Amino acid sequence: MTDAAAVSKRLGYRRALRMSALLFALVLIVPLVPYGLAATGVQLNHPGAELWREVRQRVQPADAATAVQNIDGSVLINTWGETWRVFRATQLVPIGGWVLLGTLGLIGAFYLIRGRIEIEGGRSGKRVPRFSVNQRVVHWFAAGLFILLGVTGLVLLYGRYVLIPLLGPEGFSATAAACKEAHNLFGPIFPFALVALMALFGRGNGFRWLDFKWFLKAGGLFGHHIADSGYYNGGQKTWFWMTVLFGIAISVSGLVLDFPLFGQGREVMAAAHVVHAVVAVVFIAASLGHIYIGTLGMEGAAESMTRGYVDANWARAHHNLWYAEMEKAGMVDVPENALEEVKRHDDIDFRGFGSPLPEVSESGD
Amino acid sequence: MFLEFVEGPLWYASGVIFSVGVTIRLIEVFAKGTAPDFSVARGSGWPGAIRALISRSWTAKGFTKGATFHLVAGYMFHIGLFVLLLFAAPHVVFIEERILGFGWTPAPHWLFILAAQFAFAGLMLLWLRRAMHPVLRKISTFDDHAGAILTFVVMLTGCMALLMSHDSLRAIHMLTVCLLLIYFPFSRLMHAFTFAIARSYTGAAMARKGVRA
Repeated sequence: MTDAAAVSKRLGYRRALRMSALLFALVLIVPLVPYGLAATGVQLNHPGAELWREVRQRVQPADAATAVQNIDGSVLINTWGETWRVFRATQLVPIGGWVLLGTLGLIGAFYLIRGRIEIEGGRSGKRVPRFSVNQRVVHWFAAGLFILLGVTGLVLLYGRYVLIPLLGPEGFSATAAACKEAHNLFGPIFPFALVALMALFGRGNGFRWLDFKWFLKAGGLFGHHIADSGYYNGGQKTWFWMTVLFGIAISVSGLVLDFPLFGQGREVMAAAHVVHAVVAVVFIAASLGHIYIGTLGMEGAAESMTRGYVDANWARAHHNLWYAEMEKAGMVDVPENALEEVKRHDDIDFRGFGSPLPEVSESGD
Repeated sequence: MFLEFVEGPLWYASGVIFSVGVTIRLIEVFAKGTAPDFSVARGSGWPGAIRALISRSWTAKGFTKGATFHLVAGYMFHIGLFVLLLFAAPHVVFIEERILGFGWTPAPHWLFILAAQFAFAGLMLLWLRRAMHPVLRKISTFDDHAGAILTFVVMLTGCMALLMSHDSLRAIHMLTVCLLLIYFPFSRLMHAFTFAIARSYTGAAMARKGVRA
């Protein structure tokens, strides 16, 4: 090889080396260009941006086909999932927690200020029948399911924040799995309890002008003035209709979540979960008030749902118009199962709703 | 460790107590015999025994209205429990592996869940009626309440262990099952076996007297 050829070959190598170095530099530098341009404020369109925007917005050709055939089979990115997750984490959980804690705080404050509402004039020892056996069975059936579903539901909603520090991740995992199974199994029973509640407690729960006057007097909770009331007062009627409306909402949304077999997609499920959880939190908060006034808050109230009768003085103080009707009907100071006995003999369900009064002889026959 | 204990020594011990206890109770019943009947039998006792065994599964004429609640809730609970106990897939596997050595086709998951819901609802309604009805409450003893509550707890822990993902949940369920097995022979839960004897005895005794009971 001549010197000229050797020089030419060497120059060729150097040229190739320089070209390679230049290419390598370009490979390293070119990807940085968008960042540099972005820093200078120049807008760039990512070549895949439009595609991914369409995917996120679920704009897809009508003839899109997927191997997996189901309701959400052609959805690559479920943007609602993120919306739902953010709502759950940043609004539902904290606001719901404050609602529940706030309700407990209000009840505690009310108890400290007002104290337990005693029976005016003390117990008379005379009983007035109030709720039938069937009513009490259905009430406690629904209440038992409500408590079980409420507790398991709250564990699923707040367990991560409350129980992990107490039980640890493993303990919470087992608790959450147990609660999920119980919640899903008992949930579908609740609508039946709700229907039974509506059937047995619906009568007498229509609002009347009297109830608005009862609300204006705050039900006589403050001070000692009497707020006239029939068989149910305004507060009880409100609780009944809350139970019906919230119960329907929670049942329908719960069934949508529990049985994902009817073509409902993730968006419907997420919406159902939002309805379910929001209504549940409000329902549980309201139930705390119901439980308080039925037990600790008012003397003599609980026995109407445990024994089926109330003390005559309690009836006179809290349901004076109903008590007057019962007194007129000779239903004061009667045996424990007087309601069932009257109904058995006369086929009349008399509980002071304004129904025809049964003829009750002195002997009770 | 805890699971090994409840599925090992405790399971075997409670199984023995259950088997021996039930056997002794049944021997006691049969050993008592029947009161001597010196009259000439009007008929054979067997048809009466079988008739009573079947006819007592329904309310007698005239009592239907008053007993509808018990009839419906009672069948909801007992049929639900029967399906749950013998046809739930985890139970079939357990029976095959730990008791009989053979199994059978389990019920589909949806049927087993439905049976559990019927059983829970029936048991809750029956127990609540016992607690709420003034007469039933007075004739109920601690045993009645304990049997119902223990059965409910066993079913509840079983339901909570359905996911079969945690040994601790399975151990809790097995513990309650063992407690139920130990309590069973000493309680009115024995009616699961004695109902047939009681009905047959009454039916046979009445048939011998010529009474269609």
